[in-house]
Amino acid sequence: MNNLFKGAASAVLALSASVLITGQAAADKLDDVLADGELRCAVVLDFPPMGFRDSNNEPVGMDVDMCADLAAAMGVDHQVVGVTWAERIPALISGKVDVAIASSSDTLERAQTVGFTVPYMVFQFQALLKEDADITAWEDLESARVGAAVGTTYESEFLAYKDTHWPDAEGRYVSFQSENESFLAVSQGQVDAVIVTDTAAANVVNSDKYGELKLGPVAPFGADYVGMMTLRQEYGWINYLNLFINRQIRSGRFDELYAKWIGGEPPALDIPGVYY
Amino acid sequence: MDYQFLWRPVIQSLPQMLGGASVTLQVSVLSMAIGMVLALILCFAKMSSFAGLRFVANIWIEIARNTPALFQLYFFKFGLGAVGILIDSYITVVMALAFNTAGYMAETFRGGYAAIPNTQLRSARSLGMTAFQAQVHVMFPQLLRAVYHPMTNQFIWVILMSSLGMLVGLRELSGETQFLYSKTFRAFEYFAATAIIYYLIAKLVLGLMTLIGNKVFGLNRGGVA
Repeated sequence: MNNLFKGAASAVLALSASVLITGQAAADKLDDVLADGELRCAVVLDFPPMGFRDSNNEPVGMDVDMCADLAAAMGVDHQVVGVTWAERIPALISGKVDVAIASSSDTLERAQTVGFTVPYMVFQFQALLKEDADITAWEDLESARVGAAVGTTYESEFLAYKDTHWPDAEGRYVSFQSENESFLAVSQGQVDAVIVTDTAAANVVNSDKYGELKLGPVAPFGADYVGMMTLRQEYGWINYLNLFINRQIRSGRFDELYAKWIGGEPPALDIPGVYY
Repeated sequence: MDYQFLWRPVIQSLPQMLGGASVTLQVSVLSMAIGMVLALILCFAKMSSFAGLRFVANIWIEIARNTPALFQLYFFKFGLGAVGILIDSYITVVMALAFNTAGYMAETFRGGYAAIPNTQLRSARSLGMTAFQAQVHVMFPQLLRAVYHPMTNQFIWVILMSSLGMLVGLRELSGETQFLYSKTFRAFEYFAATAIIYYLIAKLVLGLMTLIGNKVFGLNRGGVA
């Protein structure tokens, strides 16, 4: 009897232990963040007004506010991890961050590697020029020296456009390591124009940090939708993030953030006739 | 880590990566060749009896050896750019690496010279050679032999440092990798492949240099370097 009891007790112990263990293994990112009480977001901090550092060296910007809002919705603290464009994916995959709120274009090619949410922001691509440049129309870029930051969607979009529309163009293309270097290059005249997002272009022109620059023609590539990113297999987490983005818009918070960081008429994040 | 490695994109873009690798090799060979010639000139300038020449050589060598290569590259691109001198990325990288190599190798050359007994020069002169002939036929071959190993090291160093080229927009191996990665987000696969290509290039160059060293100087057959 005693032995039987012992056997039963150890069986129960083993069972509960295995439930505990497998219970933990089945926890997804959403559970992890809630259990840790801290949300870690990767944000690109040389991309004003979406992400940058203020005069106290604190991370600020629309992406940073999005991260704080998300943490507040979950009732957890938030930590902003500054990354470069290239560090976004390694930071996600190594588990250094839970989500990348890093103005990342949702291309089909990238979605083969990481999981995207629905768009939380949309940009246009625009040329940034030196004050005295005589480029007025997009077509003028055909014979110009054009640059962009390496690894950005506007770089690949521009190169693809150049290949199809201007195959014999005399203009040359140069890529730069970061946004800052591309701004520096256009202000020094190393290139005639750099391609950036409309928001970044407006920000640089207003800041005067790089001398006399002006806004150039808007690229004919169409709108650039950006989503939050996490691991591809984190369905529960992606679901939550999608709902969060939806509620940011429904609650009017998106318009508020847009007015705060960019100003003007907030763009529509939905695509007419498309059902997400 | 919950991640599935996928190598297909890397294999598909291998030709592009090898194109980048060829730019890496070109830039390295060019910088090395120009750097060696400059190094020899600097070495003689530093040993010269003219104070002006010594001064210029000293400044060059001090800056090249005691500042980061990245700083030197930025100087040639954005430093000169600020005063209106605009140089193409490819040439900028060659200039910066040649500048750096010249500084390092000048000191190596000077050490190599010091290692040759000065009786060599005097014997050559006493045999009736002019100062120039003595340098070219007696001193220089011995110098080359003395600095051969450090020169090989410098060559490998230049190949690896040429990856800084991507910071000024050169599409060498690293720049190409960065571009391909950002399109697909396959960070680990692309950077692993790039590391292997760099390793193979370095080994290939090392092997070639050893082979040449054996043939020309008999360096690894008990010859004294």
